[in-house]
Amino acid sequence: MLAVSDPLKLYGRAFGSRLLVGTALYPSPAVMREAVRESGAEIITLSLRRQNPQQRQGRMLWDYIRESGCWLLPNTAGCKTPREVITLAEMSREIFQTDWIKLEVIGDDYNLQPDPYGLIEAARELVIRGFKVLPYCTDDLVVCRKLLDAGCEVLMPWGAPIGTGQGLLNKYNLRTLRERLPDTPLIIDAGVGAPSQAAEAMEMGYDAVLLNTAIAKAQDPVQMARAFRLAVQAGREAYRAGLMVKRQTASPSTPTLDMPFWQQVDKTQQD
Amino acid sequence: MGRLLAWRLPPQQFDVTLYEAREFSLPRGACWTAAGMIAPLSELVHSCREIYELGVRSLTLWRDWVNTIETRTGQSVCFRNAGSLLVAHRQDKSELLQFQRELQGKLNGEVSAYVQELDAEQLRQLEPTLEHFEQGLYLRNEGDIDNRRLLPLLLCEISRQGVHLIEQSPVECEPFAINSDRGREEFDCVIDCRGLGAGERVKGLRGVRGEVMVVETSEVALHRPVRLLHPRYQLYAVPREEGRTVIGATEIESEDMSPISVRSTMELSSALYSLHPAFAEARIVETRVNCRPATMDNMPYLHSESGLVCVNGLYRHGYLLAPALVEQVERRIEQQINGEKV
Repeated sequence: MLAVSDPLKLYGRAFGSRLLVGTALYPSPAVMREAVRESGAEIITLSLRRQNPQQRQGRMLWDYIRESGCWLLPNTAGCKTPREVITLAEMSREIFQTDWIKLEVIGDDYNLQPDPYGLIEAARELVIRGFKVLPYCTDDLVVCRKLLDAGCEVLMPWGAPIGTGQGLLNKYNLRTLRERLPDTPLIIDAGVGAPSQAAEAMEMGYDAVLLNTAIAKAQDPVQMARAFRLAVQAGREAYRAGLMVKRQTASPSTPTLDMPFWQQVDKTQQD
Repeated sequence: MGRLLAWRLPPQQFDVTLYEAREFSLPRGACWTAAGMIAPLSELVHSCREIYELGVRSLTLWRDWVNTIETRTGQSVCFRNAGSLLVAHRQDKSELLQFQRELQGKLNGEVSAYVQELDAEQLRQLEPTLEHFEQGLYLRNEGDIDNRRLLPLLLCEISRQGVHLIEQSPVECEPFAINSDRGREEFDCVIDCRGLGAGERVKGLRGVRGEVMVVETSEVALHRPVRLLHPRYQLYAVPREEGRTVIGATEIESEDMSPISVRSTMELSSALYSLHPAFAEARIVETRVNCRPATMDNMPYLHSESGLVCVNGLYRHGYLLAPALVEQVERRIEQQINGEKV
C-alpha cells in the first residue's frame, strides 16, 4: 500500500492504494477475495447486469464481496444504451447504497469499445441524478473533455480493449491525455495484461490502474495480485522520484577520469 | 447424489428411505438439468488438482457402476468414454495454447500423456463434421453419461431394492431425524444431499445459474463432447441419441431460476452455429435452467457428525464428482456403524 502522504483522491475521498480490481472471472469467490486482499486494492468493481438484480438473486455473492471491506464500485458492464445504464445504475445505488458508478456503454461487441456518444449522454444524465461517475472511455482527448464537461471528475481511459492484455496500445494518446488534463484523476482501465504494463502506466503519471482479467485468469491469481500491487507501487514511486530522460549516448555511472574510453573497452575484452 | 447413494447402500444391510421435494419423474435438482459430462481434464483448468483426482476416480467408478446397472436392467444408460475435443477458430487459437499452458501448470508438465494436439486431418478423422477447424486438442480420458436415461433406471433399481420412495416432500434434516409434512421421522443416520435446499446448513452455499439448450438435427453428427474455446463465450456440445445435442452452459452468479434469457439463447446459439453452420437449421427442442449449488471455494462440501452426513456443493461437477463422493459418504456411514469417531 502506498504511503498515506500520497493518497489517491477521487470525488473527495482518499484511498491508500492506486490499484483497483474487478471481481469477475476468478476460479472461485474465495480465490477472488484472497486476491483482492493481496492486491491491496481498496476499490473493487462488480457487475450486476446478468444477475437479475430486480429480484436480488445475486445477493449471496454481493454480501460476500461486501465482507471484503473494500469500497464498492458497481459497473454497468454489458449495457449498450444510456437507458439501460440509467436503470442499472439506479438499481446499483439502491442495492449497494452508493452513488459511485463505473460507467460502461459498449459500442462494439467484438472489441468492447466504449460508445463515446452514448457515454457522454449517459454521464450527463447520471451526474444530474447525483451519481459520482467514473467513465470507462477511449483515449480520445475530445471525448474525455466532453465527459469532464458532463460533470465527471475522474476519467478511465482504456489501455487496450477489455481482456486483451495488450498493454498501453496508444501511448501517444495516453501521454497527451496526461499532459492536457493534469488536474483530472486518470485511471488506466482495461487491457493491462502484465505488471510491467501497470508500472509503465504509473510511470507515465497515471493516477491508478484498474484491471480484472490479468489477475483473475492467472494460474495463481493471488500471487499475480501481489505482483500487480508491487508494480503499481513501483511505477508510482518512480513517477514521483522523476525518471531520467533517455539519451542516445552512453554515460558511465562510475566515472573513470584517468582512463580513456578505448582503454576501458580493451580491458573489458581482456577480462 | 440421493439416488446413487440409495442404490449403493446394500439392501441386506440398510433400510433406506429416499425423499424428493418434487416428483421422482421430474426432479428439481441440477442432476436433471446437467449435460452429464465427466471431464476431469477439461474441468481442471477451472478448478484444482483435487477435483481432477476425484473426477478420475469417478470415471473409473462410472465404468463399473454403469456396467452393473445395464446388466441388471437390460437397458443402456448411454455412457461414453470416448474422450472429448477442444477446438477454437483460427483467430482464437491462442485460447488452445492458453488451455494447454494452464493444464501443464496444474499437471506439473505431464500434459502429453493426457492431451493430444490434432491437426486438421487428425481432427477430421475423429469428428468428420468439424472440417472447418484447423486444429484442436483431444483429451483422452473423458466421458459423458445420459442423465435422462440414468436417473429413471436408477429409480427402477432402487425401487426394486426395496428403498422407500417418498415424493412431494420437502424436508429439514437433523442428526437421526427428518422433519417434513409427514412429521418427524427418526433414522439411524440421515444423509443430507439437498443441494441448495440445505442452504441453512452449509455456510456460504450459493446458487450459480446455468442455462442449457437441447437442439435436434440430423445434419451434424458428433461422437463425443466438443468444447469451443472463445475469449468470451464457453460452449460445450454433448451429442445425445436421435440427433439431439445438449449445449451449454452459461454460468451466472445468481440464484435466478427464471427461464433462459434471450441473450443467453443468442450466445449459445451463435457459438453452436460457429461450431458447424448446419446447426442453423437445428430445432431447439428444450431449454433448461437451474442453479448449481456451490460453496465459496467451489469445492464439494462433505461433513459428518453422529447421525448425519452432509454432502453438497458439487457446483458444475455433479457427474464428475458424484461417484467419488458417494464412496466417501459410504466410508463415513461405515465409520458411524462401527462406532468410530466421525
